[in-house]
Amino acid sequence: MSVLSDIVVILLNGLQQGAIYVLLAVGLSIILGTLKFVNFAHGALYLIGTYAGLFVALNVPLSNGKLYEWGLTTLGLEWGFFAALVMVPLLVFVVGLLMERFVARPFYDRPDTDQILVTFGLAIVVQELFRILFGSNSLPFDQPERILSFGSFAGIPVSGPVALPIVGNFPQWRLWVIGITAVLVALVYLLVEYTDFGLVVRAGTRDAEMVRLLGIKITRPYIVVFGIGAALAGVAGVVGGPLNVVNPTIGTNILVPAFLTVVIGGVGSIAGAVVGGIVFGLTTAALVSLAPAWSQVGLYAIAAIVLLTRPQGLLGDEEVAP
Amino acid sequence: MTPLLETENLVKEFGGLVATDDVNLTVEEDERVSIIGPNGAGKSTLINLITRRLDPTSGDIRFKGESIVNLEPHEVVQRGVSKSFQTASIFPDLTVRENAEIAALAAERGAFGFEFLKHRDSLTDVHDVARNTLDSVGLLDRANTVATDLPYGDKRRLEIGIALASEPDLLLMDEPTAGMSPEETKSTVELIEQVKRDHGLTFVLVEHDMEIVFSISDRIVVLSRGGIIAEGTPDEIRGNEDVQEAYLGGVEI
Amino acid sequence: MSEKDANPSAKDANPTANESLVGGDLLSRWEQLRGREGTVVGLTAIFVALFPWLFARAPVISDFLQGYQSLATLILIWGIFAIGFDLLLGYTGLLSFGHAAFWGGAAYAAGIVAKNVSGDPIVMVLSGTLFAILFAWVLGFLSLRRGGIYFSILTLAFAQMMYFMAASPLAFLTNGENGLTGVDVGSLFGVLHLEADIPSVGGMLLGTWLYAFVGIFFVAAVAVAYRILNSPYGMVFRAIRENEQRAEFVGLNVWRYKLMAFIISGAFAGIAGSLFTIHGAYVPLQSLFWTESGDIVVMTVLGGAGSMFGPVLGVGLYLYIENIVSTIQVLTIPFTDIVLIQDFGYYWHLLLGIVFVAVVWVVPDGLWGIIGRVRTFVSEKVGGEQ
Ligand SMILES: Nc1ncnc2c1ncn2[C@@H]1O[C@H](COP(=O)(O)OP(=O)(O)O)[C@@H](O)[C@H]1O
Ligand SMILES: [Mg+2]
Repeated sequence: MSVLSDIVVILLNGLQQGAIYVLLAVGLSIILGTLKFVNFAHGALYLIGTYAGLFVALNVPLSNGKLYEWGLTTLGLEWGFFAALVMVPLLVFVVGLLMERFVARPFYDRPDTDQILVTFGLAIVVQELFRILFGSNSLPFDQPERILSFGSFAGIPVSGPVALPIVGNFPQWRLWVIGITAVLVALVYLLVEYTDFGLVVRAGTRDAEMVRLLGIKITRPYIVVFGIGAALAGVAGVVGGPLNVVNPTIGTNILVPAFLTVVIGGVGSIAGAVVGGIVFGLTTAALVSLAPAWSQVGLYAIAAIVLLTRPQGLLGDEEVAP
Repeated sequence: MTPLLETENLVKEFGGLVATDDVNLTVEEDERVSIIGPNGAGKSTLINLITRRLDPTSGDIRFKGESIVNLEPHEVVQRGVSKSFQTASIFPDLTVRENAEIAALAAERGAFGFEFLKHRDSLTDVHDVARNTLDSVGLLDRANTVATDLPYGDKRRLEIGIALASEPDLLLMDEPTAGMSPEETKSTVELIEQVKRDHGLTFVLVEHDMEIVFSISDRIVVLSRGGIIAEGTPDEIRGNEDVQEAYLGGVEI
Repeated sequence: MSEKDANPSAKDANPTANESLVGGDLLSRWEQLRGREGTVVGLTAIFVALFPWLFARAPVISDFLQGYQSLATLILIWGIFAIGFDLLLGYTGLLSFGHAAFWGGAAYAAGIVAKNVSGDPIVMVLSGTLFAILFAWVLGFLSLRRGGIYFSILTLAFAQMMYFMAASPLAFLTNGENGLTGVDVGSLFGVLHLEADIPSVGGMLLGTWLYAFVGIFFVAAVAVAYRILNSPYGMVFRAIRENEQRAEFVGLNVWRYKLMAFIISGAFAGIAGSLFTIHGAYVPLQSLFWTESGDIVVMTVLGGAGSMFGPVLGVGLYLYIENIVSTIQVLTIPFTDIVLIQDFGYYWHLLLGIVFVAVVWVVPDGLWGIIGRVRTFVSEKVGGEQ
């Protein structure tokens, strides 16, 4: 009984952890697959999402940083978590569009290394801006207790323990993270598989040259792909924020696992990103409870094994020759 | 005698599309073979299979009697098959001489070595091959020019020069005159004919300009939809109705 | 190139010197000399000999620069790292985000050897470098399985794995989060204490024995790197950078050459990392973290990837700003009271990031490229005026 409940807890924790990777990896993967653009600043979008979510949902005390020095002791709109969940992805979507237009587009025709270098530089700049403004100390991002409460309606409880069969009490918020991720990823999947927009995206993933030759004006779908990828990173920031510490380095720290998720799942494959994220989440969760010292290493070991046995990733296509 | 190159039941599929359809091609030593066919017939694909840029779906490729389907591209080059690309594929920021020297290095010193502390000035064999090659493609006087500054025709010459500096037994040329002006085409054709005379080289030429093809080849192979529909001497091909059918639906060529 | 111009950088392969005139004659003679191996190594040695004096002790100059001895040593150590890194990035065109693994790995290896086997500085450097070479071999083998961008991501990933290994499962060896403390560096040849000052003129110029020790490695690193660039490897590396597919199709085993480029640059990082341990007698866990890999990327690109000395310039500037300029709270225009930035120490990393983005965007050949263009411009002017 207790072994079984341990296993279920590991599974749920793993899915929750994996969900954050999935949200980031799906965005990275469609951008990399469709636009052939390597975005080392994807973590910065997650960073923006987390901070924006924090300041929309709550009102938090600042303890250092320039804003604090300029006399701001607390910051935030206190509009609640649901508002954050709606507004932040829109905000980060717009940031994504700007990023595509002003950073990515000038670099589409330049070497991959230049793309990596410029987005890496951008990631540093964003991180430093946040550090300067909001300080390097971690900020408290409390889990929302209820969402959608207004007037006499108390709202839907989303945090605190919930009784589950087998495991007993389980932090409810983690289940919400899994649910929200599942819904969003399903939506993106439907969009890519069953719409005209998705057709262009899929064709672009296979052979961008061909699509260009066929004369489809590809700029608009491209910029939207970038926006959607960014918005997903924003969502990851909002839902993941309350589960992790919030400080300016979270963006760069999450970048490596997110990229690895893409690589082991297979570039351009949404299903691959999901599988990769879940594999990573489960591995980490299992190691955290079984061999904590190794918890951070496991993910890389898995990546090494996958790449040695299936270089194109778990669900990646065989590489098509140029 | 074993032919220099033979392909046996060679098939290449891209997804559902059969780009190379059961091709049995032989090239004898000292033979000049041209491959012609309409756009999308699978000419480049066939060349890319031979150079191992693409993996065949099935079938075998033998060079000098030995199968080369399991080799890496550079190993195929080391065996003596060299290729000039359809678009000028050079090392743009290096000088013309350095471009030739890199190919000569691979030919003289093998695919890999450990000579990282040996000064390149001491590689006299490499310099000699490079100089001779540049001389034979007429670029010796431009040896110190950075390759990207060459006019397009000269870039294509350099491209052929790089292929020659590898000292191949078989040279594959994929549309060497594509994108050239008539004068550039003319001088490239002269170059190929001169190479044919001086080096006695065996080559396979993919070319759309029929005038060149008919004047230069010993044998012509016609591809259509991935398969060989005819082959023979220029005279035999000229009169072949299948070929006229495959091109432009029967217009005289 | 075989006859006269043995300059490894193709970008300045076309020196425009005017030969018919006196000014031009001197210039062109200089152009010829400056490409020679002996000249390069000799000038490097002179620079190494004068640098700490100018930086930390010379009247007026050092007051203005406010340099100090140990920073001079540190600059040479990172300089070695950058020269090796540039062989990979600038010449072969491979962007590794995992070189902290070799730098930090060698630092730990040297430190662990010092604690458990021998504190002899030469033994430390040898063991650290050997570790870096073996490790680069394994990591290169794994990371080069996939080309292009995957290489950057995979090197980053495997280096991070090293960091987390050192942080926790291997803490019994590495002392985990606290870093490797209590490294006892022995004396050189059993007699020279590295921390001690060199007597007489040598001491005035070089300062400590440690600096001299590092300086010898630096000059050797320049000589070896310069030779590599002028060897068949140098040609092949640049061929791979320019057109990898064509390099494969002239018959070169591109994969093995890339692996060699990776291992060689790992070896340079290993020498530098071992010297870093000798220099600090301590290995911070941070030395394996990916920001360290990011730093060497930034330094190399800022200074000028694809040139011999650009990256060293980048190292010097970066470390100088990080250690000296950043302590200035109010940045004024030199010799005036005009305030450029208040609280400069707070902003310097942001400014560096912005400058880095700008360099990548507009001048991919970095500061060295700018200097090169200015030099060409001036020599054209000088040649043309008379
Ligand atoms: N890498 C590839 N992926 C998918 N289809 C390809 C690829 N390369 C070529 N093809 C297809 O194979 C067919 C033959 O192409 P190709 O060999 O380039 O023809 P040719 O050189 O005779 O014009 C064409 O229909 C082309 O679209
Ligand atoms: Mg073709």
